[in-house]
Amino acid sequence: MIWFFDGSRQAFFTAFLYAFRDEDAVLSAGSRQLALGQDCTFVRADAEKAKKCEARLAEIDPQCLKEFDLLARSGEEGRWQIAFSYLRLVAARGKPVRGMLAEDAVSEATECIRRVTFELHRLKGFARFMESESGALYAPLSPDADIIDLLLPHFRGRMPQLPFVLHDVRRGKAAVWDGAHAFLAPLERAEVALSANEAGWQALWKQYYASVNIPSRARLKQMRSYMPVRYWKFMPEDPSAAERKAKQAAFQTPRDGAPRPQGSL
Amino acid sequence: MFDFWGRVCYTVCMIAPEKLRILTESAKYDVSCSSSGSGRKNTGGLGNGMPDGCCHSFTPDGRCVSLLKILLSNDCVFDCKYCMSRRSNDVPRATASPEEICELTVDFYKRNYIEGLFLSSAVHLSPDHTMEALVRTVKLLRGKYNFQGYIHMKGIPKADSLLVTEAARYADRISYNVELPSAESLKLLAPQKSRESLLLPMRQLQKERALFCAEKRKGFFLPAGQTTQMIVGASPERDGRILRLAQSLYRVTGLKRVYYSSYVPVVEDGALPAVQSPAIREHRLYQADWLLRFYGFDAEELLPEETDLPLDVDPKCAWALRNLHLFPVEVNRAPLEVLLRVPGIGARSAQKILSARRYTLLNFEHLKKMRVVLKRARHFITAGGKFYGAKDERCIRPLLAAGEAHAGARQLSIFDERALAAHTGEL
Repeated sequence: MIWFFDGSRQAFFTAFLYAFRDEDAVLSAGSRQLALGQDCTFVRADAEKAKKCEARLAEIDPQCLKEFDLLARSGEEGRWQIAFSYLRLVAARGKPVRGMLAEDAVSEATECIRRVTFELHRLKGFARFMESESGALYAPLSPDADIIDLLLPHFRGRMPQLPFVLHDVRRGKAAVWDGAHAFLAPLERAEVALSANEAGWQALWKQYYASVNIPSRARLKQMRSYMPVRYWKFMPEDPSAAERKAKQAAFQTPRDGAPRPQGSL
Repeated sequence: MFDFWGRVCYTVCMIAPEKLRILTESAKYDVSCSSSGSGRKNTGGLGNGMPDGCCHSFTPDGRCVSLLKILLSNDCVFDCKYCMSRRSNDVPRATASPEEICELTVDFYKRNYIEGLFLSSAVHLSPDHTMEALVRTVKLLRGKYNFQGYIHMKGIPKADSLLVTEAARYADRISYNVELPSAESLKLLAPQKSRESLLLPMRQLQKERALFCAEKRKGFFLPAGQTTQMIVGASPERDGRILRLAQSLYRVTGLKRVYYSSYVPVVEDGALPAVQSPAIREHRLYQADWLLRFYGFDAEELLPEETDLPLDVDPKCAWALRNLHLFPVEVNRAPLEVLLRVPGIGARSAQKILSARRYTLLNFEHLKKMRVVLKRARHFITAGGKFYGAKDERCIRPLLAAGEAHAGARQLSIFDERALAAHTGEL
């Protein structure tokens, strides 16, 4: 049976209660092609049932609800099914299962959580702020997972005096720190009047990025694997232009026959 | 901001782009890039330490940009033969003011371009003068600009020991480059530097840090420790000797990292090789370095002193191939230190195996599911009593070497020169 729900936390745990004993249960919040003869049900959120379900899971393993929170943030289609299989195993065994990596449910959940936390770590480095006229900082982002509110404490910790906005342009929402309060707000489009020096600092950063590269040691594949192209969009240093330039240079100078290392250094 | 002619306008303390270019290009051959190890907290200023470190960008050479790597000055009185800033080399010279460096750091930092500052300098006028200027810059950054992000400072050889201690109070990490793996090569290629001028301040800082920690004093004293760097391929030392030196630096001098910099010819000199040292050699040295630090290997186990690491297979594979009598090991029973010695199994995979085998008897399917890489490991392990490696021991090495070579393989194009040679029978 396919159990459809609206993608909210409450509805998920309500559906979890219903689907728990169904061996072929599939939980989905989106549209899905039904197989021949397959049943489906739409589950409405039931606050009481959801609360009961969460309380029971927290009793078994408080950590698993935090893991659910991370899974729910993932941008992947199958995230609800992964979370469902994982939590079902927790409930069925009545104890924490995160060490059982040979189980499909556990290894899939672990990998999905790793992808979310890894993106969080990456964005701590790849987010780029620009300074507005008022001195507030603005960073547009387009993360795969819904993590801007997890990213906010990192920047608040390092610049508590500076107000800033982390704008998730894909989901149309923003995490805002105004110097005293942190909050989430819907934000479709933002027009930022930049400060007088912003263009100058960006030009200096571009200059720095071009100067620190060693052209005779081009390793473009490694650059792409460490810094995937999907994060390049909001970077003032414009890695794609640097990559093009490096490719041209490589085309003009013949490569030496020396073997090169594979993978990461 | 642009002026009437469309040129970018700068405020007073914004460093000139040309100066930034000169000072960065002279600093870029220093390979140290990590920003880890410092847990400095924000107490009202700008910035904090991130214990795991953070990479902010990657350049087309595949290296990360974590710190703003810059020289205070590239105007040098030393004449080290391998260095592009050496006195006798005709290059444009520049010197930045402490304010320019501080403004640049703070403005880059708050835009999240960098994780902190990597401040080095050529020996301008004298070692003491240079070290004093470095310390003054770092003090200004920590004081007036209230910057609490990461600062990596380069130690200047032959500078006064009091200045070195002063620097350590403000920096998160200080590094002295041992430059070359032996005293003879140092004498030949960097005549103004001596082994002692590099190792003595390292030992001094090590002792002072131990004392600081033992007395539990307030504040910071090099929270991220010390590192060093040596150039590989500019002098004739073999890998065995380099790794023994690195091992003693880790164990005796307590360094956090030794960086290996593959020699890139930037200046012409009869005492230097004219060709770039192959990147693969540097890569193998780093692999061996990891084995020393995280896998419980000794340099003596890895290779004899006067030999090089093999280039066709990684150092762990090479060790395992010499010690085939120890393999295969059963993943369900082998202790952690044995698992760590299996080629292809890293620290993370080993932990995964330890965790998973408490619940079930692991087989190869399980290992695959857990994303343990079996390309190399399959020749050295059994899982649930089954062995999927090469039957003949003599085949293992070619298979491992071929595995590495194939990673760069591609489909031949009909217009490819090599394909043409194959068609015409020349190949």
